[in-house]
Amino acid sequence: MPVVTLSSDPLLGREIAVKAATALGYDCVDREILKAVADRYDVPETDLHKALDESPSPFGISSNHHARYLAYIEEATLAVLLKDNVVCRGLAAHLYVRGVSHVLKIRILPDPQKLAGEISSGKTSSFEKVSTLLKRRERFRRRWSLDAYRVDETDPSVYDMVISLTRIDPDEAVKTIVETTGYRKFKPMTYSLKCLKDKALASRVRVALIDQFPDARVEADGSSVVVQTKALEREKQKRTEVIKKLAGEFPEVAAVEVQILPDIFRKAAESFR
Amino acid sequence: MERPIRLLLLDDEPIVGKRLAPALAKIGVETESFTDPEEALQQVARKDFDIVVTDFRMDKMDGLEVLKRVLQKNPRTKVIIITGYATLEIARQALTIGAFDFIAKPFNPNDLRTIVIKAARALGYQVNEKPVDSSSAHGDSETEL
Repeated sequence: MPVVTLSSDPLLGREIAVKAATALGYDCVDREILKAVADRYDVPETDLHKALDESPSPFGISSNHHARYLAYIEEATLAVLLKDNVVCRGLAAHLYVRGVSHVLKIRILPDPQKLAGEISSGKTSSFEKVSTLLKRRERFRRRWSLDAYRVDETDPSVYDMVISLTRIDPDEAVKTIVETTGYRKFKPMTYSLKCLKDKALASRVRVALIDQFPDARVEADGSSVVVQTKALEREKQKRTEVIKKLAGEFPEVAAVEVQILPDIFRKAAESFR
Repeated sequence: MERPIRLLLLDDEPIVGKRLAPALAKIGVETESFTDPEEALQQVARKDFDIVVTDFRMDKMDGLEVLKRVLQKNPRTKVIIITGYATLEIARQALTIGAFDFIAKPFNPNDLRTIVIKAARALGYQVNEKPVDSSSAHGDSETEL
């Protein structure tokens, strides 16, 4: 059965995700898994939430920590998605599960009028204020997703379906999602299952490398893994050996290719010393 | 006794048919290999095949057109698309038209054999998965296509 990813404003989408999962007989996976991720990697759960909600900054979460936490979340989420029959929300899966044909990616757009009521919770909050807030949030999410995954999550072309709650009721949205999962095009097939398995393996290898190589980009194709990282010329051999050793420890990995790109910033910094 | 599973294999690279036919014979599949889509479709018109395995990108006709024509002739036929140019869009298009499965090249003959067994079972055939002898003369189980 297809996997459904739901992307929306943090205040929205949970109800739709839960209802869709219930109607489909799927599990609903959301940020509740972060507790287990935090325990597994011995990191504060609040930092994992921050990584999903904030961009790296000098006063907040550092770039290396941000990359590391997102790698942990990605690895855990992909492991869940591999089990199939899942509605996934709030874990940014739509940004790293791209190109998998049995993953139905949905974006839920809020109804500012209704959201105004939820945000104000009794206090007066004008439609204009909420609209401004939503626009600001959207700008922020755009920047966050581009920083983290080089994908603009506000771009509708990222999704298979965009549902505006201004025009479609939440129950109608659930019905539409359930109906769409029945389309043949979203049926898992050998190719799409392999794509997802490749992504899951790549994410596991990346987690294994991330302490030493926070910038490492990993791609897997079956039992072959390609790792790309930056280094100075003199570090090339050592880094290649370490990466091959760490990635080669996975029983599923038969071949590791390491591509070292020149680290021009460090090279420039060294030349000025 | 149940008749053997009839499979038509279409790929414009002759090596594909040459390598896959013996691998499929091991599970009792009778394979006819073609490199020309028009000749393959002529054979489909003459004879009923249970399973058709077709390449996606070929000079004269693409695999989706082959898929459509095979299903027009016999909607019961299970069509498996193989391609070295797999994308999400092509995969979804193939399933929408009615492909049974879609597999990206390179693949191991064992992978295709698994899909063929699944297709045969969906048609009601009893197929026993025999252990594959990797030291066979063709060495088909180990080398990717």
